[in-house]
Amino acid sequence: MADKTMPIFVPSEKPVKVVKWKVKQGVFVSQGQILFLYNDSSGQDTELKKYKAGRAGTISSIKVKEGDIAEPGQAIAELEECRHPTVMKEMCAECGADLRTDEVTNRDVAVVPMVHSVPELKVSEELAQKLGREDADRLLKDRKLVLLVDLDQTLVHTTNDNIPPNLKGVLHFFLRGPGCPGRWCHTRLRPRTQEFLENASKIYELHVCTFGARQYAHAIADLLDPEKKYFSHRILSRDECFDARTKAANLKALFPCGDNMVCIIDDREDVWRHATNLIHVRPYSFFQSTGDINAPPPPVDEKPKEKLPTGKNGAQVNQMPTLDAEPEQKDASKNKENKEEGSNGKIVSKEVKKDNADAKDSEEADQEGDERIAQDPAEPRWLETSDGQIEVEDPDDYLIYLDDILKRIHKHFYEHYDKMGKNQIPDLKTIIPEVKCEVLAGTSLVFSGLVPTHQRLETSRAYQVAKSLGAEVTQDYTNKTTHLVAVRAGTAKVNASKKMSEGKANKLHVVTPDWLWTCAERWERVDERLYPLQRGGQSRWRRPPAHCSSPPPAAAPRRRTPSGRFMDTINPLLSFSSDDIADMDREVEDIFNESDESSSDDEKPDGDELDNKERLISASAENSMQDSIPDRLPDSQDAEATNDSEMDDESRPRKRPRTSSPPSEEEPPDDDDSSWNLMGAALEKELLAQD
Amino acid sequence: MFYHISLEHEILLHPRYFGPQLLDIVKQKLYTEVEGTCTGKYGFVIAVTAIDSIGAGLIQPGQGFVVYPVKYKAIVFRPFKGEVLDAIVTQVNKVGMFAQIGPLSCFISHHSIPADMEFCPNVNPPCYKSKQEDNVIQEEDVIRLKIVGTRVDATGIFAIGTLMDDYLGLVTQ
Repeated sequence: MADKTMPIFVPSEKPVKVVKWKVKQGVFVSQGQILFLYNDSSGQDTELKKYKAGRAGTISSIKVKEGDIAEPGQAIAELEECRHPTVMKEMCAECGADLRTDEVTNRDVAVVPMVHSVPELKVSEELAQKLGREDADRLLKDRKLVLLVDLDQTLVHTTNDNIPPNLKGVLHFFLRGPGCPGRWCHTRLRPRTQEFLENASKIYELHVCTFGARQYAHAIADLLDPEKKYFSHRILSRDECFDARTKAANLKALFPCGDNMVCIIDDREDVWRHATNLIHVRPYSFFQSTGDINAPPPPVDEKPKEKLPTGKNGAQVNQMPTLDAEPEQKDASKNKENKEEGSNGKIVSKEVKKDNADAKDSEEADQEGDERIAQDPAEPRWLETSDGQIEVEDPDDYLIYLDDILKRIHKHFYEHYDKMGKNQIPDLKTIIPEVKCEVLAGTSLVFSGLVPTHQRLETSRAYQVAKSLGAEVTQDYTNKTTHLVAVRAGTAKVNASKKMSEGKANKLHVVTPDWLWTCAERWERVDERLYPLQRGGQSRWRRPPAHCSSPPPAAAPRRRTPSGRFMDTINPLLSFSSDDIADMDREVEDIFNESDESSSDDEKPDGDELDNKERLISASAENSMQDSIPDRLPDSQDAEATNDSEMDDESRPRKRPRTSSPPSEEEPPDDDDSSWNLMGAALEKELLAQD
Repeated sequence: MFYHISLEHEILLHPRYFGPQLLDIVKQKLYTEVEGTCTGKYGFVIAVTAIDSIGAGLIQPGQGFVVYPVKYKAIVFRPFKGEVLDAIVTQVNKVGMFAQIGPLSCFISHHSIPADMEFCPNVNPPCYKSKQEDNVIQEEDVIRLKIVGTRVDATGIFAIGTLMDDYLGLVTQ
């Protein structure tokens, strides 16, 4: 934009004498402010006159000194008009000018909403860069990084369902929305959240970045951080998001100098467009029937992790494999009785997380879990009644590992920074994959039964996960092979492994896929002895957990536009990578496919015998089937679209039933009639329940 | 600036309230409907001080609702450009600070804060501080500001303020 400097001319027909300047050079003046006093130089009229600024702006130069005489037509000073670099509600925050009535050209200067919670406040690109640089300098000086923290299912889990009021460790608050009656929210903080925030805030500047509404985000932030020492006002909510589906668009506004120092923790990768500076955390789920209440709009759904804390007899700890979970619900009534009679005996319930069940069995059984409960009003299962408080063991210890991951990233970043010259800042988008690569560096894996035969190894998720952890993966045994990841015993490769390890000095580890998933979850090489392949029986096969779907480090880093200008990059359309566009195509395809298939797997009814049966059948079928058959694509398409469908399978968000209890591990292949009937049955049930 | 002025308002009353308490309900409804609202012309209605007259109710054809025209006096608060006011700081950030003057929100840009005051993000709560540290403005502090612009919407007023003038800034009690 051209400089709008305008000269101030002598305000009369005759020469005037500038008697006194009321302003200095470089000073900002508002409209109507007195700039200088003058009188008629002829001396006849000695009355002092005031010269007032016609417009707001900055005095860029003063050309006539005090006491000098200026001729008509001569410029006395130059006034640089306010360029409105800060705009609040379309009003210049510097000069107070109303930009709605001004010429259109004035409007576009301030475009960057830099303050998290106030989207109306915008600053110019230039100012944003300056503030961004100041921020970056300060962070470097303090040796900190930026951490964007997601709330729902990362640090907290919230439900709107009715829950018993005496759940221990669950916080309740009421949100009053404009135009709606308001709702109660019940929030459970992830175990060790306070410690985690405390530790993280020492090396990171924490920002909240959530898809919850503003009110909700602030309410949760209040719970997490009543003194505002962690987040202060750095809370970005749905109301401030540019885009209802992704949080990535806001990054450029919050960090105008680039997101080199930004690290993200979230349970959803898609909302960040699979950014490489994202640490994909294991979703936290406490209220069994609720997913993420603030998930972005459709095609987004998540399968909740299952927790099926169930106590059948007093003090007995019951761990139900996922598939048995549904029938277990029928025992609810039994449990009810148990609750009454068992108040002397303890009913300890254990949540079984689908993705971690066996991973956790070994080490968490002995861990004293925090009290907690997942629940459902009608079916008070899994209860411990001691002093009127309901407790459920919460084995979630993910934040310990997350804390460690963050520390490693921070250390790595500043090691690089110290090595690099001044004015160079390493990029977390490359540092984070590097850190991750060290996890399994030096190992060489061979998969058995993990990748379907008709699929290329390179396109499988297991391969990508292993690669992102820095492991080598080979199709067959090599000299360097250190691990065999096998789904079941008795395959050719498993048998061969025995021979292999005989001749070798260092033993070949034979582990279940859980080992790999656990490594990916904790970013550390976990002890292989915890995940031995069971002889004879097939180890519990599980599909890769959601948080293992990180793309390989090389995956499509976002490029800046050739000009490198900030303005060019803020348009989200320009930042789409080819992957994004492919994603969009796929989405459209999905929609078409869906209309053919008629089934909605979002709201899967259950608790229904039929459904259970179907699920059991289908799940057992699936165990023997290959995992890559995507549940949404008809089989006929599978062969031609292995690559595509696998990708689709991976990147598609998990299903998330809102009100129904968790589905089995795999959605059963949809059968048109039965699923419609089931849905009808479920609806009917729901209606009856409401009455 | 505060004004004590006469205003009018129409109350729409459901027929269920027809009875001996009718006029009380009209008054009650007036208080709830009017106090705390904001109009562009008169600003914020702070409090109704007197109800001058409740006119004859007019039954709405086909509905049974009755409309009562009510004349009342109220104290209103209307901010003006150039007005100097005391405000409470609500949020401090790198772009500037937000302050609250009763019901009126106000933003003060960094540029409108004296140049010797710098933003300190590291202290909790964040603040603007002069170099000698003798002048600190943080959340909850009372400041005196001058309004340089107002944005009047149908439902609210927002103001832009400045501290760049004599006797503006932190108010020390």
